[in-house]
Amino acid sequence: MAKSDDCIHILQGLLVFGNVVIGMCGIALTAECIYFVSNPHGVYPLLKATDNGDINAAAWIGIFVGLALFALSILGIIGVIKASRTLLLVYIILMLITFAFEMASCITAATHRDSLTPDLFLKQMLDRYQKSEPANNSDSEVTKAWDELMLQNHCCGVTGPSDWQEYQSAFRLTHSDADYPWPRTCCVLDTQGLPVSLDGCKLGVPGYYNSNGCYDAISGPVNTHAWGVAWFGFAILCWIFCVLLGTMFYWSGIEY
Amino acid sequence: RPHSRPRHAGVHTMLPLLLLLLPAAHGIDQLGYRPALTTEPPLGGVTTGSTFVVDQPRCVFNDYGNAVIWLVVALDQAASSFNNTQRPGTSETAFQRFPDPVRAYMTLNATLGSYPCPKPEGEIAVLRVGSETSCTEDVTRPSCNGPLPVPGPYRVKFLALEGSVPVAETAWSVPIMLRTAKPFSSTSTAGSGHSADMIAITTILSILFAILLAGLVAMLFFWGSDSCGGSSTFSKPESVTVRRYNTHHVYDQPAARL
Repeated sequence: MAKSDDCIHILQGLLVFGNVVIGMCGIALTAECIYFVSNPHGVYPLLKATDNGDINAAAWIGIFVGLALFALSILGIIGVIKASRTLLLVYIILMLITFAFEMASCITAATHRDSLTPDLFLKQMLDRYQKSEPANNSDSEVTKAWDELMLQNHCCGVTGPSDWQEYQSAFRLTHSDADYPWPRTCCVLDTQGLPVSLDGCKLGVPGYYNSNGCYDAISGPVNTHAWGVAWFGFAILCWIFCVLLGTMFYWSGIEY
Repeated sequence: RPHSRPRHAGVHTMLPLLLLLLPAAHGIDQLGYRPALTTEPPLGGVTTGSTFVVDQPRCVFNDYGNAVIWLVVALDQAASSFNNTQRPGTSETAFQRFPDPVRAYMTLNATLGSYPCPKPEGEIAVLRVGSETSCTEDVTRPSCNGPLPVPGPYRVKFLALEGSVPVAETAWSVPIMLRTAKPFSSTSTAGSGHSADMIAITTILSILFAILLAGLVAMLFFWGSDSCGGSSTFSKPESVTVRRYNTHHVYDQPAARL
């Protein structure tokens, strides 16, 4: 029957095409997640300290899901061309498991992105930055991470240097307000790492201290990271949904 | 001194003359200048928890070249009761005894040479009250410019002294309030409202997954039924090839059965 032959071939062609796209997207997802895991823009210690390392976990899951998608797409292509029921059944079940994992990764990334509000970082900074008796190693990690963040991005505090004035902090307990209205890392530093003008910094003269907050520097990369994992994963999953439905339809039509 | 003798002048003319002479006899000129927090350039630390910044009194004390200009810092309620004859560098005006029992102290003494007039363009001429942290407990330095112990409100004025005689003063500033640090209480850190994006992703993905699972169940349940484009199932590629039977076999087989 020419009609059903054409129908078969079109369906087979579509499924092969769908699987090829899945394979390529799997590679892309792996590459994207490797990029995020290896290049966190220095904010990962801060995230880890706030017990928000889950965005990183979502990226790790993404790496393995991507590789699995690539392998499964090859399996799918072979199964479709050979019209083998067993191969396609295995393909469908494994693909559903991968779907579930990627779904978990997307939702995790999206949920934890929402929880990274300025308040969260402000609380962490006020409680732990330059804490005099670091309770554990993570406190000194937090101090180092904040110092590096403030130096590299020329910023101060979460919303600005006034964070140190408006709220009580661990820093204030060991540094007097008159000598340190804000930490020295908020000052504009010269090549030796000393403030260009210490008095200018303490007074708050524009140009001698960093008056902008660091939240933008944190949230930018974190946003890209989270939405990259979440939305790209979502797009791939929608495509997989269509291909799986087609594969199920095809499978049920194969002669037993 | 010219010798002046009233000549048959009545009391009514003498009284205003005497009243006019009274301030001149005390010698304190009331200058119209009012100290104020620095607004130009805008400073991030104009008021902090224990310091504040006021403009230097440039071109204010021009007529008092020999005087030493002191800054008087007083609690708001004690400003009006401050006595100009109080001398700096004594325990009555010592910073270390502020705010109790001393309610107003004197600090930041400077000669007119420190405040050149006119102010050069681009220069930041300010005084930071509360910047000296090394002498807060040192009673040998009563004019210490130490950090302010309470949030205020405070009022300041400049007082010019020649020797120990006050010759000029500015007006009191408006009350200055310092900043207080409050404990951080987050309104909501964890579990805040989820964004629409996250809800959309979760809902759509859950629906898709449910459909796929239902499809899988249906597929396994209705094993082998239904097909593409009609009731006939399509067959595997291998069985499409037609085997060519040797005609001898066809004739031979019926004969073998018999």
